[in-house]
Amino acid sequence: MEKDGFFNNEGNGMGIPQAWNSIFGMELETQVPNCFVNSNWDNSMDQSDPFESALSSIVSSPVNSHSGIPNSNSGGENMVLKELIGRLGIICNSGDISPQSCIVGNSSSNTSCYNTPLNSPPNLNLSIIDHGNSIPRNHQFPHMVESGKLSRVSSNQSFKTTEFPIPIPIPASDKKLSRLSLIPDNKELDSSMEESSLSEQYPNGETGIKSQSQSTYSNGRKRKVIPKGNGIETHSSTLSAKDSKAVEEPEKEVSDAKRSKSGEEGNGIEKEKEEGNLKPTKENAKPEPPKDYIHVRARRGQATDSHSLAERVRREKISERMKFLQDLVPGCNKLTGKAVMLDEIINYVQSLQRQVEFLSMKLANINPRTDMNMEAVLSKDTHASMLNTMNNMDALAQPLYVMAHNGPQNPLTSMMHHGSNMKSSQIDGFGEASAFWGNDLQSVVQTGFSQNHGPSFYGTMGTGQMKVEL
Amino acid sequence: MYTSSMLKKEFLNKWIKGLQICCSSKNKMDLMERKKKIKLSADIAMASANKTATSWSNALISEAKKNKQDTILVSQLLGSKSPLKLQKSTNMIISIHKRVQCKKILKRSCFNAGKRMMKKKKKNLGISRSNFATTIAKRLVKKRTKVLKRLVPGGESMDEVSLIKEAMDYILSLKVQVDVMRSVVAAAEVLIDDKLLKLVE
Repeated sequence: MEKDGFFNNEGNGMGIPQAWNSIFGMELETQVPNCFVNSNWDNSMDQSDPFESALSSIVSSPVNSHSGIPNSNSGGENMVLKELIGRLGIICNSGDISPQSCIVGNSSSNTSCYNTPLNSPPNLNLSIIDHGNSIPRNHQFPHMVESGKLSRVSSNQSFKTTEFPIPIPIPASDKKLSRLSLIPDNKELDSSMEESSLSEQYPNGETGIKSQSQSTYSNGRKRKVIPKGNGIETHSSTLSAKDSKAVEEPEKEVSDAKRSKSGEEGNGIEKEKEEGNLKPTKENAKPEPPKDYIHVRARRGQATDSHSLAERVRREKISERMKFLQDLVPGCNKLTGKAVMLDEIINYVQSLQRQVEFLSMKLANINPRTDMNMEAVLSKDTHASMLNTMNNMDALAQPLYVMAHNGPQNPLTSMMHHGSNMKSSQIDGFGEASAFWGNDLQSVVQTGFSQNHGPSFYGTMGTGQMKVEL
Repeated sequence: MYTSSMLKKEFLNKWIKGLQICCSSKNKMDLMERKKKIKLSADIAMASANKTATSWSNALISEAKKNKQDTILVSQLLGSKSPLKLQKSTNMIISIHKRVQCKKILKRSCFNAGKRMMKKKKKNLGISRSNFATTIAKRLVKKRTKVLKRLVPGGESMDEVSLIKEAMDYILSLKVQVDVMRSVVAAAEVLIDDKLLKLVE
């Protein structure tokens, strides 16, 4: 994918995939990678300048070839730009990270590159919404960027207030995207599209901004149905319909997952149900929501009744937790699918339980008579060395000569030897260890049962060194 | 990990306490009995070392409570925390049982009904391959969740989502338990080793 190609080349200062070149003009080659590579661009003075120029040139190329804009408004805009960049950087850092946006987030500065232009004079077309029109080739990348950007922006509500203090005259062709970043509301993917497309009607950047800010302010937690949205939705949806659905869905999945996560985080949660009125296949949701519900949105092309929504939320929760489990259970990273994962988990739990049983049996054997002594020993140890050994997984505690143990018994010796063997094998996976122990358990138990306290028994465990006759 | 070492310490302390309690009561014990006691005290120590009251820990404790012999051990081990927790756990156990019973009844009836449905479905041979695969996968998942429910203590009355969460907790604590026990055993062995050497000499 072009996107991948781009990201791969990120670190490489010079190489830029063809798509970039074709889209963004040649002049950017050196500038663009700089701003992407420097991830701390939000705070550094140095970067803002090439940044701005990079941005401006990025933006300008698809529409016009004029590059005269870049540093024209340095002064005040510079400060605002930096502020914005800083905020966006914070957003990028603090926003939820879903796998896809991670990919995008690799160059989170990248998307913020797209964000910042909102504030800066340059033509911001970015065709991110307009992908259908102006950038026919690179569909997927703007999608990814868009999703990454939108989701990141939307996660920070405080951003709402950092609207453009400075009205920036934006050339007619470039108004579209500027609204996008200002959507502070958490769940605004669609309304962002709506509003951005709304802004098409407002050639003037200012009023566009204002209208959007107004609507977002009025929305608050709820989402207003924007009456014009219907007509425009079709527009945007048809636009997006041109592009690959497959890309969209994962985006929305991503944003959905994020949203549900953020919903769970305990902000005011609302449930949004899809109405049948609005085109049911669309993503739009009417804000019917009483509070204290979970914010959910149906995906494009999926059923919209509450049952399936709830189902989907449940499924997402489950898959989320399965991912955590993958970290717990060793060797589960490559497995996919619930059934296989569950199988592994079951095996792991069973083996752990068996280990506990075996260890307790072993302990019981080691101290056939003197549990008391064991406690004395342990308490005297003051737990310190014990814990050290535990922490190091090093089984050799310092010798304590307090044991008033009567006589060595062969099960003990055999166990010791097995213990030493086992120590080495502990490193390996639980499966091996348990198998090993499983084999030994029987022999141990046999000897254990055969004589509890009788000392004179020659174990056949091959313990040549430690045979004791009593 | 920070938390796991803390957990280990707590677990060890409680376990030792438990061992002391149970060993002071009787002098002579069978091997199996001893093993059981050890395991029990370990389990209870594990369950109580968990500061957050997870349901599996409660279930463990309440199950141990049922056994009359062990209640003494349990109550002593748990100490001051016990009344609340035990009450909670006992209530939970009761409700769990009821739920389980109801579920069983439901399942039986559904199963019988489902049999008829399945027969009907099989008659309609319009089952596509993908459907077939997904149904098989679903069945597998269901089977395995059943098994997991049996494994995790107190897991029978939970839905899938919380079951997975409980399983995670349980796995963590089992790991801790195994680690601690292993090192204790190893330390004891070393002691015996030295003893033996001394004797031999």
